[in-house]
Amino acid sequence: MAAFMTNLLKPWSPRLTLVRWTRYNPYYLEPETSRDAYNKPETELTPEEINERDLKTVRPIKAAVSGVSSSGFNDQLMNKFVNMMMQEGKKILAREIMTETLESIKRKQVEKYHKAGPAAKMEIECNPYAIFHQALENCKPVIGLASIQKGGKFYQVPIPLSDNRRRFLAMKWMITECRDHKHRRTHMCEKLSQELLAAFSSEGNVIKRKHELHKMAEANRAYAHYRWW
Amino acid sequence: MTLHRLSLRLRQAIMTLHRLSLRLRQAVTQARHLHSSRRGQQLEAVAVEPELPKELSFFRTRESDPACHAEVHMGQYYTLSPVHLRTVFPHGLPSRFQLQMKTFNETCVMVRQPALELISHLKKADYSKPAVRYMFYGANGCGKTISLCHALHYCYTQGWLVLHIPDAHLWVKNCKELLPSTFSPSRFDQPIEASHWLRNFKITNEPLLSKLKTTQRYVWTKRESTEEGRTLAELVEQGVARVRTSSDVVGALLKELRLQAGQPMEGRQEGFRLAVAVDGVNALWGRTSLKKEDKSVVAPEELTLIHNLRKMMKNDWCGGAVISSLSQTGSLFKPKDVYLPQELLGEDGFDDMDPFVPVPVSNYSEKESESCYLYYMDRNWLQHPHSRTEEGKKELLFLSNRNPNVLERLCASL
Repeated sequence: MAAFMTNLLKPWSPRLTLVRWTRYNPYYLEPETSRDAYNKPETELTPEEINERDLKTVRPIKAAVSGVSSSGFNDQLMNKFVNMMMQEGKKILAREIMTETLESIKRKQVEKYHKAGPAAKMEIECNPYAIFHQALENCKPVIGLASIQKGGKFYQVPIPLSDNRRRFLAMKWMITECRDHKHRRTHMCEKLSQELLAAFSSEGNVIKRKHELHKMAEANRAYAHYRWW
Repeated sequence: MTLHRLSLRLRQAIMTLHRLSLRLRQAVTQARHLHSSRRGQQLEAVAVEPELPKELSFFRTRESDPACHAEVHMGQYYTLSPVHLRTVFPHGLPSRFQLQMKTFNETCVMVRQPALELISHLKKADYSKPAVRYMFYGANGCGKTISLCHALHYCYTQGWLVLHIPDAHLWVKNCKELLPSTFSPSRFDQPIEASHWLRNFKITNEPLLSKLKTTQRYVWTKRESTEEGRTLAELVEQGVARVRTSSDVVGALLKELRLQAGQPMEGRQEGFRLAVAVDGVNALWGRTSLKKEDKSVVAPEELTLIHNLRKMMKNDWCGGAVISSLSQTGSLFKPKDVYLPQELLGEDGFDDMDPFVPVPVSNYSEKESESCYLYYMDRNWLQHPHSRTEEGKKELLFLSNRNPNVLERLCASL
């Protein structure tokens, strides 16, 4: 039955397809990669989860992406950031830069921790993952601008941003800032670690860019009614 | 009354440790590594170590004198004092270890079986006989350099003269200046490397050098010479100051030390003992990546430093020991998975070094990897919440295969 359905819904593609242009039939379901979902005992599952599990026994499932693992160290935000940093498909290089960045952040913080007095020790955050998450959180803009045409002219109208868009903007600004506005001879991991630590304490150029966007939105609030959605 | 309480507590401690050793024994009966250390003795060491006193934890020991390290301390970290660090290791420790020293604000080295074995050999050796050559060998990242440094620390605390070449591979590649030798026309000098090494050598051995005297006259140039009877400290100073002749100074220094090790000197009944420590010994007999002006390859024996060092590695002198370690990491033109002495030294190297005492260095055992994990936890190095769980620990040990270097690199970003 499943095979018959997939045959009907398959988009036409020539025999010799290049992998890059194929698309999964919408009939295929997303894979579940975290181990906790499978370790849950029967009794704790809600009726919806039981339905989903039964659906997965009859439907085909997409192959898992190689960037994602079932290990406890897997981090979704980290994977997104690595993908955004990647150029020309060099995932290994992008991932290495990311691990070196985390290492250098941790080294700086742990060094500070060991040299600080007992009172200051509680204040210092040594977890590079926490710093990374908090820094990106601090860089996310609350409101954005859209270019809307009205009466022949284009106006910058303040609009609410979706969560995905906010996360994307924060990561994009971080990467472009480190690539373009820093000294050419420093390594990317050094530049990133400096910028992330600054963003963690709400300083630095990325935070400044976020504030400038907020100011522009505030300045253009007169045009807010041009938004129709 | 107190005796009764103490005996009760001891009995409880012994029972918990017995349970721990049983669990370890079950894990140990799985696949064994070919060059593994004596596991029975390690398990006894676990049972012997008391759980009660708060100052001694499972992974640290207060014994900072390498001469007193015994099998009781295996798997535990001992701290090097900053004074010893500055004098003994101005240039010896691996770069990642130096980063760790800077981050943790302390220098801790694990006491492991290969280093203890070497130290016990050094304690029992007869120094009126020719020098014994010891060689650490093992896969990449197992801890050969750190074991060498541990043994060297022991030699320094016993008052020996320490001749430490941190990495012989640095002398056969990436040389900025290659001058034709002033002493012999067919050889080449490396002034920068030689003067840099002499500076560090002086920092390590200042007190002993000012007591030793030269036995012959050395003429460096038309106007400069060192007379007979001058101190070796002056000789080293000459080499540091006059960079052009520093390679020849190194050669002269090695010759003097070879002649005088073991000979009685002023103010002492027996002579000083000489510890020659060379890391990456396979560089002496391998190939170089240096080229002459006519683009032909330079052989290692055409370099003055290497030529003199090879003479030092022969066992025709008494009153000391030669501690060496192989290294594939910095080596030239050797495949990655090669680690045995025969393969890395080549035929000439093996014939020159034969006979030597091979000391195998392997990955961490269960106790050592447990100790390493606890040390990183203590130093606040493992930050990821998953790495602090049992599962995370098992994952780390599995991914690294208990290899010290790989484990360190994995834990660095977590």
